[in-house]
Parts: sequence; C-alpha cells; structure tokens
Amino acid sequence: MKKLRSRAGGAVLLIMSIILTCGVKLIFPACPAHDDGTYMSCHWAEQAVFGIGIALCVISLIIIIGGEKTAAGASLAAIPLACITALMPEFLISLCKMPTMHCHTAMRPAVIVISALIAAAAAVNSAVMLRKRDNRK
Amino acid sequence: MKLTESLSFRNVKGRPARSAVLLILTVIMTAAVVCGIMTVSSLRAGLGALEARLGADIMVVPASAVSKKNFENIVLQGSMGYFYMDSSYYDKVAEREGIEKVSPQLFLASASAGCCSVPLQIIGYDPETDFTVSPWIKKSAGGTLGDYDVVVGNDLSVFVGGTITFYGVECKVAAKLDKTGTDLDTAVYTNMNTIKKLIASSIEMGMNDFRDIDPDHSVSCILIKVADGYPVDEVLNDLNLHVRRTKSFRTKDMISGVSDSLSGVSVMIGVLMCAVIILGIVILFLAFTMSVNERKKEFAVLRITGASRKKLSGIVMSEALIIALSGGVIGTAVALLIMLPFNGIIEESIGLPFLMPDALMIAVMCAAALAVSAACGAAAAAYSARRISRIDTGVILRGDN
Repeated sequence: MKKLRSRAGGAVLLIMSIILTCGVKLIFPACPAHDDGTYMSCHWAEQAVFGIGIALCVISLIIIIGGEKTAAGASLAAIPLACITALMPEFLISLCKMPTMHCHTAMRPAVIVISALIAAAAAVNSAVMLRKRDNRK
Repeated sequence: MKLTESLSFRNVKGRPARSAVLLILTVIMTAAVVCGIMTVSSLRAGLGALEARLGADIMVVPASAVSKKNFENIVLQGSMGYFYMDSSYYDKVAEREGIEKVSPQLFLASASAGCCSVPLQIIGYDPETDFTVSPWIKKSAGGTLGDYDVVVGNDLSVFVGGTITFYGVECKVAAKLDKTGTDLDTAVYTNMNTIKKLIASSIEMGMNDFRDIDPDHSVSCILIKVADGYPVDEVLNDLNLHVRRTKSFRTKDMISGVSDSLSGVSVMIGVLMCAVIILGIVILFLAFTMSVNERKKEFAVLRITGASRKKLSGIVMSEALIIALSGGVIGTAVALLIMLPFNGIIEESIGLPFLMPDALMIAVMCAAALAVSAACGAAAAAYSARRISRIDTGVILRGDN
C-alpha cells in the first residue's frame, strides 16, 4: 500500500504526460499546413513537444516501475524537461506571426499550463520521495 | 496562536473527505465568479473599443455584399472577406447633401500560402480623405504612409520597421494600431496604390480571379461622416434612395447587432454565475447544518469544559471561513489559469469583440471574487453557528436530542 501510494505521483505524471503528448497532436495541435502543402514554423514546435512528451511518458513509467532511488532521480529529471517543454512554443521555436492563429490561442497556452503542472507534480513527487529517504536514514 | 494550531483548523484537517468536498465546491463557485466577471468585462471593453474605433456615421457597400456570409464582421470587425463596386459610386456619394467627410476603402484577403506571411484582411484606404484609421495611426507612430508601407493591427507579431510579405510583395511596417479586441487587431492597412499593386500581384500569381472587376476603379466600402445640422437618418435615406445598387448602413445600427449579442451573452453568464453561487450557498448551508448536527456532542463537551457560546459559534464560523477562503484562493488561481492563457480561444469561440482588462482591474476582480466566496461561506455557516451557540448541553449529553 505504501509503495502504491509513493508511486501515485508517477501515475499522475504519466496521465499528464499522455495528455500533453496526445493532446498536442489531437486536441490542441499547431496550425494546419498551407494550401500549397508547406508547413509554418509552429508545426515544428508541435513535433518537438510531441517528442519531449514521449520522453516524459517514459520517465513517468520509470517512476512507477523503478526502484526508489531511480524514481526519485527520474522525478528530478522530469522537472527541467517539463520546463523546456513549456518554453518550446514561441521561445525556442517561433510560432505564426498572428496571435489569433490556433498555435497561439490553443497549442501554446495548453502546452505551457500542462508542462507547468507536470513540473510542479514532479517537484512535489521528488521532494516527497527524497524526504522519506532522509527520514529513514 | 497560529492558525494551524487552532481547533477550527484541526477540525477541517481531521475530516479530510468532508473538507475536500466543500473545498471543491467553493473552488468551482469562485472560479465561476472570476471567469464570469472577467468574460463580461472583456466583452464590454471590446464593444467600447469597437465603438471608439468606428469614426464613421454611415457605411455604403455594394447591395450584393449584404447577402455575403459574415458581412457585418467584414465591415465592422475586419474579418477576412471582400466585395467590390465601381469607384464612380464614391463620387456619387460625395455629391449628396449633408456629407462632411467621405473616404473609400478597398478590401483584399491575403492567402494561406507561402506567398503571404499570414492570412489576414488587407484594407486599402486613402490617407488624404481618411478619418477613421489615421487618428489611430498617429497614436502609434505618426508620419505619412508611403507606397509599400503598411500599418498593422495590434495583435500581429511584427515590429514597426520590420517587413511583412503579401503575394510576394515585401511591405514595410510603418506603424501599429491600438488594440480593439476584434479582427481589426490582425488587419493590415495600406494606401490605395499599395493595395492595387498587391491585387495585381495576386492576379499575376493566379491566387485571385477578379473576372470583370477592374481593381484600379473599384472600392469595397465608403465611409461617411455626416455634417453638423443634418440628421444621420435623413442622409441615410437619401443615400439609399439616390445611390442605386448600393446599400447604406448606420454604423451604430450595425454595432447594435454586436451589442445585442453581447447583452445576450452577458445575461446568460450572469444567470449561470448566480445559479452556481445559489447552488453553492445551498450545498454549503446543508453541509454545515449536517456537520453541526453530527457534532452536537463534541460541541456540548467543549461547552462543559468551559468554552463560551460565542467561542462555539466562532469555531463553526472559522471552519467555514478557512474552507471558503482557501477554496476562494484556489478557485481564483484556477480561473486565472483558464482565462489568461486561453483568452484567445475564448474570444474565438464567442465571436464577439473581446478585450481583456488590465492587471489592476483583474486584481480587483479577484479580490471581489474572494470576498464573494468568504461571504457565501459565512452566510452558509451563520445559521449553524447560531444554533450551536444555543445548544442545551444537558439534553445533548443525555442523548435526548
């Protein structure tokens, strides 16, 4: 039961990472391709978020199935990764010029909010796990 | 004594399930209040900005344009679309009596293709006769608008001095306009020469087909300012009677459509907000009444150990305030997390002018929502607090209640 409780944070992270990964492709994707088939730069931000989202899913799985030390380390690793994801649209990869376009109105805020929640959940999870370890010592 | 050491706080903490349910309820209630107030206020600010931005009393458009889908949004809010009439109508309109200022505009929508930086509405205007766009340009940068110079709406991510390409033609951004909360914020204004060159370029690229329309002798709409002493309705009727194949509109009447939609949305939001608040108060009231009923013996024991009646009611009120205020803070945070990042998509889905209030105004709204949350918590617990202060300890401890 205790182990289950300690891994609940990992499950929460996994759910949010799946929402981010699938969401950026299905629910809040970047703008569609031009009529001539070319993509705008926001498409590459979407691809980058999708890639990092998969990495976050894998890290969340490691937190759930891995040992205590591994889980604590993986939780810590998820924090900067989530922060980088939040910065990906617009700051690291520029989006469309018009703020009324879908990449600005839907993708960017959704990615920022979900990434911030992932970073916060990972920080809480790692703090809880490290404190438990310190208490046992 | 610290809050965390107080009996009320321990009571809240000691019943996690009950506290969590009440907390979620106050979070929903406060979030609904903050979102509702911010949405209504943004819609009102948007309408105000739109009214201020439209300097014309009357708008003349081709009669065929009225049947166009999205017609009002094209002329009022700068949504993408176009229609044309012969420029001779401009002279016909200018000749009529009671007209102080008259200025033509020509519309062109840029394409969603590699030849254009962004798909948006390009509006050509005559800087010499214009009285609706120029006042807003002066506020931003000033100066005259040369060929291949454009003035961009506030929402376009291009800087003054930067360039923007339409149909393969590179234009220099000469100025930026103030925000209106409408599609005008993403429109581009340029002089008649430049827009005609852009039209020619779009035809050359095969992106537009003007068929029998001659872009050099066309206008999309004519804006009119009525001279002092002439009733707007009389001038409007005169134009509709004598300038055939066109349709003249009073801009205020056109805005009234937007205004009616806005009041409809505002009423709906207000009703929903009230429903959530009333429901919240009723549920909180029932929860506190049931909780106090369950804990009568606990309060009776406190009473015989020396707690005054005021102290007992104070405990109930403090519990309610702890839940209401913490729920209020979380609810406000949730509402801000929804409204601030997602205001673009909210604006898109409502389809009305939407101008978010400034930071100070948002802070005031959040404080008001917190006050509402605290007041609801206090109102819901007041009856229970009054009842508990009048308990007969003897009867309760004997179990005769």
